[in-house]
Order: sequence, then C-alpha cells, then structure tokens
Amino acid sequence: MNEQMQTFPVVEVVEHNPTLKTFYFKVKTPVKPGQFVLMWLPGLDEKPFSVSDQKRGRLEITIKAIGPFTKKAMELEPGDRVGLRGPFGRGFEVQDNALIVGAGCGVAPVRFLHETAKRMEVNTTLLIGARNSAEVLFKDQYVDEGATIVTDDGSLGGKGLVPDRVREMLASGSYSTICASGPEVVLVALRNIAKEHNLPVQLSFERYMKCAIGICGQCCLDGSGIRVCVEGPVLTHEELEQVTELGLPHRDATGQRPEKPGICQA
Amino acid sequence: MPHLKVQMAGISMDSPLVLASGVLGVTASSMRRVVDHGAGAVTTKSCSIHPRKGHPGPCIIPYEHGMINAVGLSNPGVDAVVNEIRTYRDECQAPIFASVFAGSVEEFGKVTRRIAAGNPDLIEVNVSCPNVQSEFGAPFGASFEDTAAITRIVKKNAGKIPVAMKLTVHCPSIGKMAKVCEDNGADVITAINTVGPGMLIDVGVKRPILSNKMGGVSGAGIFPVALKAVWEIHRNCNLPILATGGVSNGNEAAQMILAGAHAVAIGSAVYNRGVEVFQRVNEELLEVLELHEMERLDDLRGGAHE
Repeated sequence: MNEQMQTFPVVEVVEHNPTLKTFYFKVKTPVKPGQFVLMWLPGLDEKPFSVSDQKRGRLEITIKAIGPFTKKAMELEPGDRVGLRGPFGRGFEVQDNALIVGAGCGVAPVRFLHETAKRMEVNTTLLIGARNSAEVLFKDQYVDEGATIVTDDGSLGGKGLVPDRVREMLASGSYSTICASGPEVVLVALRNIAKEHNLPVQLSFERYMKCAIGICGQCCLDGSGIRVCVEGPVLTHEELEQVTELGLPHRDATGQRPEKPGICQA
Repeated sequence: MPHLKVQMAGISMDSPLVLASGVLGVTASSMRRVVDHGAGAVTTKSCSIHPRKGHPGPCIIPYEHGMINAVGLSNPGVDAVVNEIRTYRDECQAPIFASVFAGSVEEFGKVTRRIAAGNPDLIEVNVSCPNVQSEFGAPFGASFEDTAAITRIVKKNAGKIPVAMKLTVHCPSIGKMAKVCEDNGADVITAINTVGPGMLIDVGVKRPILSNKMGGVSGAGIFPVALKAVWEIHRNCNLPILATGGVSNGNEAAQMILAGAHAVAIGSAVYNRGVEVFQRVNEELLEVLELHEMERLDDLRGGAHE
C-alpha cells in the first residue's frame, strides 16, 4: 500500500452486528494509530477510514453502515477487491500513562492506539463511550477486558456522558495526556477540560476530504489553514489554537459550510 | 541585493510564484497559509454561478510522474467565493486571483460580473478544464471563436479588474490562441491547464481508477510541454504570461521566465515538496539571479529567445 492506487482482496470479514463489520487486508506497509487510509469501492466512491488495528501483516478497517458508501461496504465478502491508499496524515504518539478516549465511531482509531500501547507494554487507560449498549464498538472484547465504558442511557457500563466521566477520572487519577477520537462536540469538551488541568491532548478530527494528499484544500481548517489530511487528523492544543471553526458544521463537498451540522455522510 | 519583485498587468508581487488554481484554494485561511510560506499571489479554485459537488472519488491520484485529477470543478458558488476573497483581504496583503468557469459564453459574462464584486486583483478565466467534457463538451479553449467571444464578454464585465485567459495546449496553436485573446482585450495569458485528459487503470479490478474515468494530467511530467507552450505564446503575443505546468523547483521556474513568463504558478509540487515549496523555490530563484549576477527577474525574462 502507498499513496498511489492499488487494489487488495478482502481476506476476512468479522461481523460484530449487521451494521458493523471489520474487514481484514494483507497490508504490510506500517500504519500508525490515528493515521487513515482511503478505501475505493470501484464504481461507487472513495472515502477515508481510520485503521482499527494492524498486526501480523494484516490491516483492519472497521466500518459502521451509515450512508450509501458504508452500507455498500457491508456487502463485501472475502475475495472482493477494494482500493486502498495511504497511510495518510499524522497519527497518535503512544505515551505512557495516557488517558485514551473513544466515543461512538471514534473507538476504531483509539482501539489501534490502545492495542499498540499494549503490545509495546506501555501503560494506558481506556475509556469507551457510546449512546447505548448496541452502539459500543468491540463490545465483547471491552466487556471481557473490563474496560471503562459509559453509555448515555446506562444500558452498558456507567450512565453518563464521556466528558463528565473524564472529569471524574482526572479528579481521582493522574494522566500524562488525553488521546481521543469521536464526535467533535466531545473533542471540544475534552480540549477544554484538558486545558483546565494543564494536560496536553492528541485529538483526532474529521473533515470532508477529496485528495488526502494535501492538494485539494477541501479539509483546511478556518483560522489556521491547517490541512486535516496532512498536518492532522490528530491535532494538539498548539495546532488548535488558531482554529476558529471547531464545533461548527463542516464544509461539504462544494466547500460551503452548511447552516446545520451534517452527520457522517459516507 | 537581488530581489524577486515583479509586476504583471499592474499587479505588484513580492515573488513571481503564484498558487495555481485548484490547489489549496478553497478557503481564505488555506490561501493565507500559502502566502505565509512565500507565494507572491494566490488563485482561488475555479468557481461557477451555482455550487457544484464535483465528481465522486477517486478524483485525484498521484502516479510516478505527477498526478491525474478529475475533481469535476467542485466549488461553493461564486457568491461564497466572493466572501472568501473578502475574508482573505482582511488577513492578507498579497494579491488574490479569482478563477471562474461557465458552460456558455453568456454565463461566463454573468460569473465574471459576480466575482468582480469581490474585487480580486485578477480574474482568471478557465476555458480549458478537461474534466467536464461529458457535461460541457470540448473545452472552449479549443476554439478560436469561442475563446474570442468569452474574452470580449469577460473584459466587458470585469470593469477595471485585469483578465487572464487560461489556455490549454489542446488547441490548433496556443501561440495563435494567445494572440486572439490579446486582440480581444485580455490582459494576461495563463498557460497551461492540465494535459490530456489521461487515464489510469487498476489491473486488479480491470477498470479506470478515476470515477470520471479520465482526468487532467499535471505535475513534473508535463513541464516540458508547458514550457514550450509559454515559449510559443511569448513569440506570438505581447501579453504578460502566468506560466503554469509541472514547475517544482527554481531551475524550472527560471526556465519559464527565460521562455517569457512574468509569473510562475505552482500546484502539484505542493504534493512533493509541501506548502514550503514556495519559500524553497524563491530561494532557488535567487540563486539563479546570483549565478547571472542579475538584480531582478526582469533581466532574466525572455532571455532564451535571443
């Protein structure tokens, strides 16, 4: 795999539930946690996805069926070829005593970070958040491992919101940094909490992308001009300092910023 | 001290290097960042009257010798671009060029009138995009008559703002085409647009990679084609030339200036050399001036024609 187009056969599919599957590919090119790849479904479109793990020469991409592209991806079977390019962007740095937070679909990239830290025997703490029990990614594994889980409705783990739980954890424990991926409203809240505690952050952001190679300008953040696809998607306090669009609806395929926030369109 | 200041159609630039249209030109902040890294001017991504989503992906693919793209002229519409230009003006002194395109001569007139409201330093008229042929047919830039008519209506509607016609090499003679633009009132010639269209096929799935199947070829591989076009335009018309096509270093920028260019746009090289490419090419251009013991780029311009 590199930045030019190549197609790879799916070697295995694991169905977590009918709308959430992990696809495995034989890809040896090293990918860092938090970096992303572009997946091409020939005849349909090409979209960015984070990597949920890479081990023993196999790359894992976990996809939740939300829009036309991800719904079509649910039909993929072993042997089907898809295009994969990358890895793109700057990922997470594995850091001792990090608080790793994944909310909603953001669990996929932080899972890769957490698994990598475990393999490196680096001590980290994982917090998983979701709206409800059914929405918890990798639920079986995380329940088995006894990870801290919070759900909005309390149907699994503690009841409550991710930022509130992070506040509690920071009050009772001490961490070196917060690494997080999830909805932007959660990331913005974590950024503010981290500032109060004087903690560095590594937060993974999403924007509409066309090229992923820093050319098209579609994913540049207002205020700083930082390209989410190259300088991001994982950004620090310093890099977020001048950004003026955090929490606003994202610019769409035309480059316009819509009035209302769109949900993940892929 | 040697310097890189240039004048083109009355526009003063601290460097001859311009951000090419279609690259990092969607937002004001992105363009300001390019200026912070040494560009003398920036060009917005081409806009139309109405917003366009462009083609699905893949729409930009790097390959061994450059890249191929069929973005499909995605843009937020001319009025949104006017707002970006105003935001840019609040933050940045360097000139900003606005690229426009349309599906008919009349529409070129309309989009020009609306972009002029943003008061860009130059209006660049894209009559040469190769990626929307299924929608618009062959580029207007392939026809002397169409290009002449568009030049006239755009000049009429641009008011005092200078107009650059962006030409394609895929026409009977780019030198004669430039002369036609000059005769019909253009102020600058931008040359060239992407080449082709070309195609890449994935052997694994046995189909073209770009969703549009074909797309414009840019980057290092097209530099000699662009350079020869600039040479030919310089011999056929007296307008200043904004040269673009595969330039990625100071040597190539100097070659464009020796062929007759006033300014040199950089696009695809941002992929290979980062946003910092502008500062680096500036430094490399200064080395060329030092080599020839010259003070300014004006002394270099057209030097290959003697």
